[in-house]
Amino acid sequence: MEKSKETGLEQYHVQKTNKFLRTLIYIGLILWALIDLFPIYWMFTFSLKSNEEVYGMNVMGLPKEWLWSNYQKAMTTGNMPRYFLNSVIVTVVTIVISLVAALMATYAMTRIVWKGRTLMNSFFMLGITIPIHASIVPIFITLSKLHMTNSYWSLIIPYSAFSLAMAILICTGFMNDIPKDLDEAACIDGCGLWKTFMLIIVPLMKPALATISIYTFLQCWNELMFANVFISKEALKTLPVGIQALSGRHTTEWGPIGAALVIATFPTLLAYVFMSKSIQESFIAGAVKG
Amino acid sequence: MKNKTYRNVTVFLFLLPGLILFIGVLIAPIIMSVVYSLYDLRSISTQGMEFIGLGNYQELFTSGSISFWKALGNSLLLAALSVFIQLPLSLGLALMLGKGVKGERAFLSVYFLPVLISTVVIGQLWRKIYNPDYGILNAVLGLFGASNVMPTGGWLGNVSSALWCVFIPTLWQYVGYHMLLMYAGVRSVSPDLREAAKLDGATDAQVDRYIVIPCIKPILRVSVIFAVTGSLKSFDLIYVLTNGGPFHATEVPSTLMINMLFERNRYGMGSTIAVLMIALCFAFAIIISAVFKERDIYGKK
Amino acid sequence: MKLKKVVALLLAGAMVLSMAACGNDGGASSSAPESSEESSAAPESSEADDSNAEAENTTSGVDLSAADCTLEMWCIATESDSNRHSYEAAIEEMASEYPNITLNWEAFENQSYKTKIKAAMAADEVPDIFFTWSCAFLGDFVAQDKVYCLDETYAEYQSELPEVMMANSTYDGKHYGVPLTMNIVGLFANMELLEEAGYQEIPGTYDEFIACCDALKEKGIIPFGCAGSETWCVTEYLESVIEKSIGADAMNDIFLGRATWNNQEVADAVDTFQSMVTNGYFDPNGISLSNDEVKANFMAGKYAFYMNGTWNCADFANDENFFPKVKVAEFPVINADKSELGQLIGGPSDTLAVTAASENAAVAAKYTFELGKKICHYGYLDGCGLPAWTPYGDTSSVNALTQDVAQICNEAKAYVLFGDTAMNADEANTYLDYVAQVYGSNIDGKGFIEGLAKDIR
Repeated sequence: MEKSKETGLEQYHVQKTNKFLRTLIYIGLILWALIDLFPIYWMFTFSLKSNEEVYGMNVMGLPKEWLWSNYQKAMTTGNMPRYFLNSVIVTVVTIVISLVAALMATYAMTRIVWKGRTLMNSFFMLGITIPIHASIVPIFITLSKLHMTNSYWSLIIPYSAFSLAMAILICTGFMNDIPKDLDEAACIDGCGLWKTFMLIIVPLMKPALATISIYTFLQCWNELMFANVFISKEALKTLPVGIQALSGRHTTEWGPIGAALVIATFPTLLAYVFMSKSIQESFIAGAVKG
Repeated sequence: MKNKTYRNVTVFLFLLPGLILFIGVLIAPIIMSVVYSLYDLRSISTQGMEFIGLGNYQELFTSGSISFWKALGNSLLLAALSVFIQLPLSLGLALMLGKGVKGERAFLSVYFLPVLISTVVIGQLWRKIYNPDYGILNAVLGLFGASNVMPTGGWLGNVSSALWCVFIPTLWQYVGYHMLLMYAGVRSVSPDLREAAKLDGATDAQVDRYIVIPCIKPILRVSVIFAVTGSLKSFDLIYVLTNGGPFHATEVPSTLMINMLFERNRYGMGSTIAVLMIALCFAFAIIISAVFKERDIYGKK
Repeated sequence: MKLKKVVALLLAGAMVLSMAACGNDGGASSSAPESSEESSAAPESSEADDSNAEAENTTSGVDLSAADCTLEMWCIATESDSNRHSYEAAIEEMASEYPNITLNWEAFENQSYKTKIKAAMAADEVPDIFFTWSCAFLGDFVAQDKVYCLDETYAEYQSELPEVMMANSTYDGKHYGVPLTMNIVGLFANMELLEEAGYQEIPGTYDEFIACCDALKEKGIIPFGCAGSETWCVTEYLESVIEKSIGADAMNDIFLGRATWNNQEVADAVDTFQSMVTNGYFDPNGISLSNDEVKANFMAGKYAFYMNGTWNCADFANDENFFPKVKVAEFPVINADKSELGQLIGGPSDTLAVTAASENAAVAAKYTFELGKKICHYGYLDGCGLPAWTPYGDTSSVNALTQDVAQICNEAKAYVLFGDTAMNADEANTYLDYVAQVYGSNIDGKGFIEGLAKDIR
């Protein structure tokens, strides 16, 4: 999809449809927006309330008394900053690894002519449908025997492998858009395959970077099953594991749990507010290229 | 000849990192899972495990306390709900947004927001929303004079409502995801095509039905595959909300598998469930592709 | 001092009454299932006696003050756990007594700990000292040779820690665990609500008890709160009903695999329990709640009764508003031909053990006994349960509720250990699954016994 087409479409407006339908459309859109926002709003408010307010005095409104101590409690007993940092480390390293592996593999499968490259591509595409849980038993047994549980790598390696298929799919879409002439020109200039890859292809793949990052982020940031099983050390817990443990310990204290949920969500929300447009565009690019 | 060897070596080197990851973490474990599923493996020491053939499969299909059929039925039902409720809703929103409403950007951003929130956070949040005593859902329903509609046992505690209550947060989180995919497709439909249809006297609904939807069929296919395989592998949200309860009403194969592995130490049986899940995901991916191919009368570009 | 006497009596009583030993799972002589002596008096007694005699002569000889090392410990005393304070206090005291031994300890949430410890055990990544439940849970690890045998060290503590309290962590006559506190299932009642229904005391007979539930229901008060999302909470009710219907001996036989589940009396007892559910004695919303939430509801006056472990005494005692309203009793007898008052559910379950792979196993073993004694002491003072160790120091500050529990235990005639502790992980989960199905009215008593008879062995 070319950019020009997308912007050209702005001409087509809802104004051209009849008034009744138009109102209906707005009502529908606003309704769903409210459904999306209300739980998040509620999460923010009860994170600042006391149990008395949550339990009946003031269920829906803004807190009467802003209890910032809930946040202090969540930060100290829950170690939230640590969990957040761990999640960031695991996610970022996973993105880097799957990106490098995907770029290289895609280059070999789309730019170099050899027998069986389409077969190899479909082989990698198996990964799209295989559920990550399917390999947990053998990985668990192997890592346990190697004493490798309780390390970042015990999460990063499986996450990278399971992000690989999607990353290759997206890379293929982007790489096919790079004209083949460039390779040929480089070849004539005496560049080998490696040089062509490093000097021509990789710099042109920058847009793919954002897209792959977003898809990988969505997959790793949320992952609970592996993280729950492989990580028991407090210092290595990722956000999902940490929040799960924290909520188990404080089920009846709504405020601190709410605060922990907000702390876990806030940085992502902040990043999204500033970059929503580029995030959405990269996400869309993934769908279209794939 | 030398050139060809050089090329082959290069290809191999380029593929190497990907292959190591892919074979080491996906393919080899799957083969091992298949092997383990034939053994009565009850500790991670694999020495001396007992070969029992299809014994695990047989027990899984017949046991009264391992509710595999229930779990399978639930995950198929969740997949069906995703395809027939979540995707139409996403499509509806995408089509409406695609007409170029005011504040389009803002709507898009809001709809996509829940996708970025951690599933565990969403699960914990919805646990609070559903709380039978102090939850916001009852409070909101109370505003509309429907304070008594909560089923006995609470939203997540009633056997017949629990699965729906687990589905709703999924819907809430992922409508934005599919909406954005579809919106991209809707946006890429040539405006001239729409204009021409309108000039021919087509209504809005007809334009959507006969021009837009056929054009975004490839994206719909991707959405359906994601929604179905996503439902078949769903774990996080259910684990957080109900962990399969009450009384297996929301049990899915993945929660059952985790129970087998880490509550009962039955690694062989856990592998059996894993193998069946892989088979199921593949079967559905193939079925969906076939369905779309057959019905793709307009053809791809 | 009155209390001290009660406890002394309790311990003396425990010596003679039966506590089912878990070690000899099914294999042991089933002809004398309830040998009132100890497991060491079973067939292999002579052997066991020999080793005991030996053990007395050859003590570990470890001097903790001379030891200089770092030990790791895992437990479940998280911030919100009522045992937290006793661990902290005991560890602090240990640190000042033995400054050269550094203890690094970590606490995990109960449910996830079970997963964690099993995985770690398989990978030989368990710290030197670990918390465990006695009987089957610890037994699994002992069977895998993962646990350090404590016989030599125990010889030094025999006078302070009665042999009978070691029964649940004794396998083939060898000791593998240091018990901390012991607990039973208590029937807690909110007397304020009972008075509203016209009752000044917790009814002592089953008929009165049911009449009381009906009276409560009429007043719009929910009799029972029970967390359906945590099936062990359901077993606290169901096991009491079964025990008071078929008797402790029959129940022990079934739990320990010496008798079949296919027992019509069990089916009838399960039906009795189910009729309590279908009669609306239980809060229907409890199904989706966690135990913490149900307990909070009970303390907020939502339920008249709450059947759960006596470790809850500590939390109740800490709530000034609620504590004056709560009383504890044992569940009434349903079938007087088979059962009697004094047959209880419970026993020492919370246990510390030492990993066989520990580099400082001998030091860790001695340390564990010292630490266990202190945790037991502070846990008892806090009301987290009754002491497995002979109490020392001033114990007059123990809360009244725990004293009542001590009184109940003092008159105990038999104990049946919690079902999910008595069985191994796989069987326990199968059992819990059937219990949940009973609670959800998916199956009746007949389905319960037939299903369990089929799926367990």
